[in-house]
Amino acid sequence: MHIPDGYVDLPIAAVFAVLAGLALAVAARRSEGQLEGGQAPLVGVTAAGIFAAQMLNWPLPIPGGTSAHFVGGAFAGILLGPHLGVLAMSSVVVVQALVFGDGGLTVLGANLFNMAVVEVYVGYAIFRLGRRWHDVGAAFAAGWIAATAGALGVAVQLGASSAFNYELLTVLAIMGGGHALLGVIEGAITAIVYQAVIRSRPDVLPSATREVAA
Amino acid sequence: MSLRAYWERRWLRRALAIVVVLALLAPVFGIAAERVGYTEPIEEAAETTGASGAADPVATEPFPDYSVPGLPGPFGTLASALLGSAVVLTIALVVGRLLSADTTQQ
Repeated sequence: MHIPDGYVDLPIAAVFAVLAGLALAVAARRSEGQLEGGQAPLVGVTAAGIFAAQMLNWPLPIPGGTSAHFVGGAFAGILLGPHLGVLAMSSVVVVQALVFGDGGLTVLGANLFNMAVVEVYVGYAIFRLGRRWHDVGAAFAAGWIAATAGALGVAVQLGASSAFNYELLTVLAIMGGGHALLGVIEGAITAIVYQAVIRSRPDVLPSATREVAA
Repeated sequence: MSLRAYWERRWLRRALAIVVVLALLAPVFGIAAERVGYTEPIEEAAETTGASGAADPVATEPFPDYSVPGLPGPFGTLASALLGSAVVLTIALVVGRLLSADTTQQ
């Protein structure tokens, strides 16, 4: 899911850097006052947990098949609310790029857009829509669909770039198809961890999240 | 609220313990993923369209690909997981504090 330097044409990278910057500015503005002081560590530990979970590449023994790792955008959005979720995911994606070279510097905006903006807002929206029927099921759908949506974002950026021969449909099929399958695991992890948190300590969540999840 | 007050919360200590366990698992997953030839759909897409050779880092980060110079692979992965989690924790905690109601109202 992390795009390296050289894959995306610079004008496209620039457009998505602007879009990601705007989304982060909105998220920062809308997050103000959402937390009580004591809840700041929740943002920290959620982001740290997502970083660590992203390091676990699933060793799926499918011959010739592809795999993935947990991304956590939907999870962050559900747990922290969408705007704080965007900021938590952004801290993960920025550290991955600047410290570990996971995701290129020229495409940092594109990677932020896909994983920290699209995945968080799509995941949160799915969760909000579905929770009236079944909150854990909604968390599963949120993780699954958000991962697929993020992958489609990657596909559009790659498929519109010269390195990928402008083969947009091919890239959409491979990225969309692959992550739609692998996203089932993302959905399952999202649902299981959501359920564990909400059943054990709902009181630690931001009040806006509690109202949504209740 | 002070760091000590944070530490007195059991849920937070438990959550941090979970992060450490995930970090400890990172080298295990790393070895297993290498064994099964881990690739992601993005690499498959690059191979299919002839973009595989196009990846071209513009800078060398301190710990490229979660490795630590001088440390054998799995230990570098473990150190990267612990260090990265700590850095992300710090940044997101600071962001959370900056945006908290009791700071913004001052």
